Amino acid sequence: MNRDAFLTRVREAAAAGCAHRVHLNDIPGGVGYVGTSAEKCVALADEISAVGGEAIVVESPVAAKDAVATLLKQYEAASALCWKHAVLDRLKLPELLADTNVAVHDHSTLAKLPSDEQRQAILAADVGISSVDFAVAETGTLAVCSKPGRERVISLLPRVHIAIVEESQIVPDLFDVFEQLGKLSFDDLPSNLAFITGPSKTGDIELQLTTGVHGPGKWHVVIVRDA
Amino acid sequence: MSHVDYVRQEHHAFLKASDEALSNPALQQILDKLGDSLGQKNKDAWDAFEQHDLVRQRARAIKDDTLAALDKHLATLEESVTRRGGHVYWAENGEEASGFILDMIQSRGAKKVVKSKSMTSEEIHLNKTLEKHQIEVVETDFGEYIIQVAGHRPSHIVGPALHLSKDDVAEILSEEAGEELPSNREALAAFARRTLRSRFAEAEVGITGVNYAIAETGSIVLVENEGNARLTTSLPRIHIAVMGMEKVIPKLSDLKYFLKVLARAATGQKMSCYTSLITGARREGELDGPEEFHLIILDNGRSKILGGPLRESLFCIRCGACLNACPIYRNVGGHSYGGVYAGPIGAVLTPLYDGLADNHHLPHASSLCGACQTACPVKIQIPEMLVRLREQLHEEPGQLGRMESLAYGLWARSLRSSWLYGWGTWLATRTIGRWKRRTCWLRRLPGSLHGWTKQRDFPAPAPERFRDWWRQEGQHQTGNEEQRRES
Ligand code: SF4
Repeated sequence: MNRDAFLTRVREAAAAGCAHRVHLNDIPGGVGYVGTSAEKCVALADEISAVGGEAIVVESPVAAKDAVATLLKQYEAASALCWKHAVLDRLKLPELLADTNVAVHDHSTLAKLPSDEQRQAILAADVGISSVDFAVAETGTLAVCSKPGRERVISLLPRVHIAIVEESQIVPDLFDVFEQLGKLSFDDLPSNLAFITGPSKTGDIELQLTTGVHGPGKWHVVIVRDA
Repeated sequence: MSHVDYVRQEHHAFLKASDEALSNPALQQILDKLGDSLGQKNKDAWDAFEQHDLVRQRARAIKDDTLAALDKHLATLEESVTRRGGHVYWAENGEEASGFILDMIQSRGAKKVVKSKSMTSEEIHLNKTLEKHQIEVVETDFGEYIIQVAGHRPSHIVGPALHLSKDDVAEILSEEAGEELPSNREALAAFARRTLRSRFAEAEVGITGVNYAIAETGSIVLVENEGNARLTTSLPRIHIAVMGMEKVIPKLSDLKYFLKVLARAATGQKMSCYTSLITGARREGELDGPEEFHLIILDNGRSKILGGPLRESLFCIRCGACLNACPIYRNVGGHSYGGVYAGPIGAVLTPLYDGLADNHHLPHASSLCGACQTACPVKIQIPEMLVRLREQLHEEPGQLGRMESLAYGLWARSLRSSWLYGWGTWLATRTIGRWKRRTCWLRRLPGSLHGWTKQRDFPAPAPERFRDWWRQEGQHQTGNEEQRRES
């Protein structure tokens, strides 16, 4: 349909509909902020377990690196997809992965592959390792923004997703994330922002929960306390 | 008609379909669980969230405000989407929307499409159009996939395969697999994951619905638990999103209120597993995400509703909570309603979109208990709207049966005359009232009134009129008081 005709019709209908507005009291903005009264790392870890993930809180980047190494062994990972991120660098994750015989793909190795092989590599990976942009303590949610080096498939395609969160990345409430997002300019909003709260789930058979139907069935979050 | 037809076809025979659903023990067993599972989780979630009521009112206010200037917000949305490199199409009806999508797919020479669950695409019968033109469309939401393979219609807004048991699903998917799959949830989900992965890898186009579209940023928001919507918007080269025009919200900061209530209403979760905020196609240097983004904005009868008294139905965010809360839905199931949307909100939407005359049973498929409104994250006054539709039925000539008109006419007459009312009630108590004083219920009304008593009993009049009882009781009371004063 012609755009202008469409919008004209909507304008007329909207005006007529104003006679049937539901009368509402003024509700102040910001209602619904919950946050958390517990210590941030602990609160986040608790919520993550509550939604079916596995979280551990560690005291140092070295301990975090060990935790990742243990997970890679546990899942007998042959290949991993990896973000490029300062948090992962601080863990010296690239070195860890070089030491193991896990085949690692990140933005720079993937970008060099022809698109067919790139697809293959992405689809075949056993584990995805990322950091986050924010983590929300109240709900156990990780917010991840896409950009080169922070591919969306890394937290999505492999059966196992391991995320490393530093304490400073944790905010109490979802509303805090929106406050930060509100500061971005129009062009800076990422093409994809995913709020992840738990391993992939479905209740489609008899309302019973089954995990890992499309996204990762295993969801590990390593929380690193500030030094 | 056999049961199969109600499951597969849209129809308008509510009474017959619900009769059949009521006498289907397997379906009843599944529906019985709904109130204690999803319904209860929703109630618990509201209880655990102290300011839930304020947030829900806030979300409601945002919807109300947005609709009041909907054209403006849609124009802003278009501008933002375009600025981020996307394309916007305006579709007056389902045919036009499907046409746009078909053209686009054909012009790119694409043959394979993956879809993530979208009630709007269901509404415009998109799959039929695409399949007619030899385009392979695969539903990727697990529940949608199951019913697509089976050829069924969705029976619940968020759980489309709710009407099927584990054994049913095993049978359906075994046939698809060409081998016997065990009747076990994990194994069935694993089969779907395997099969659908290869579809995702091959598909050139991904089609999604839209939970919210943010005018200010040109973003669309998709909320899900499985990850198939994320896959649909990450792997294929082209992303096409279809939205009903009421899905727009003005600002990014409005979204947070909806996210606080949507999952709590739908499943009792604080947040669904995945909420994606998608703004345009992939950006320079990104390795995944679509290269093209297209947004189709659909009217399909919405502007008619927007200008009328039932405009509030456009607040609906399709969470399914009213279905889980509804005692009628929990007995007759989703297919009985015959339209795209089932349950209390379906009983409002289907008559509005598909015509009241053809769906005159739906506004009556409610006990008006109000559980739907209590559950609803945007507090839509569904009972009021159902009553309003009933009124419309009575206002439009020829919509009522002769007996019904006669009965209501008599009722109205006697309520207007105290003499007639007094006499009528006296007669009723002396005859039927005294006769049925033991059971208090009439099992079967005579003649065509029998329709009413087919599924329920009719309360018999009391053996004594209230006014007589009151007069006597009053004397009794006064007597007591006089005695007390004397002593
Ligand atoms: S009417 Fe309310 S409860 Fe029902 S589906 Fe819509 S938003 Fe959910």
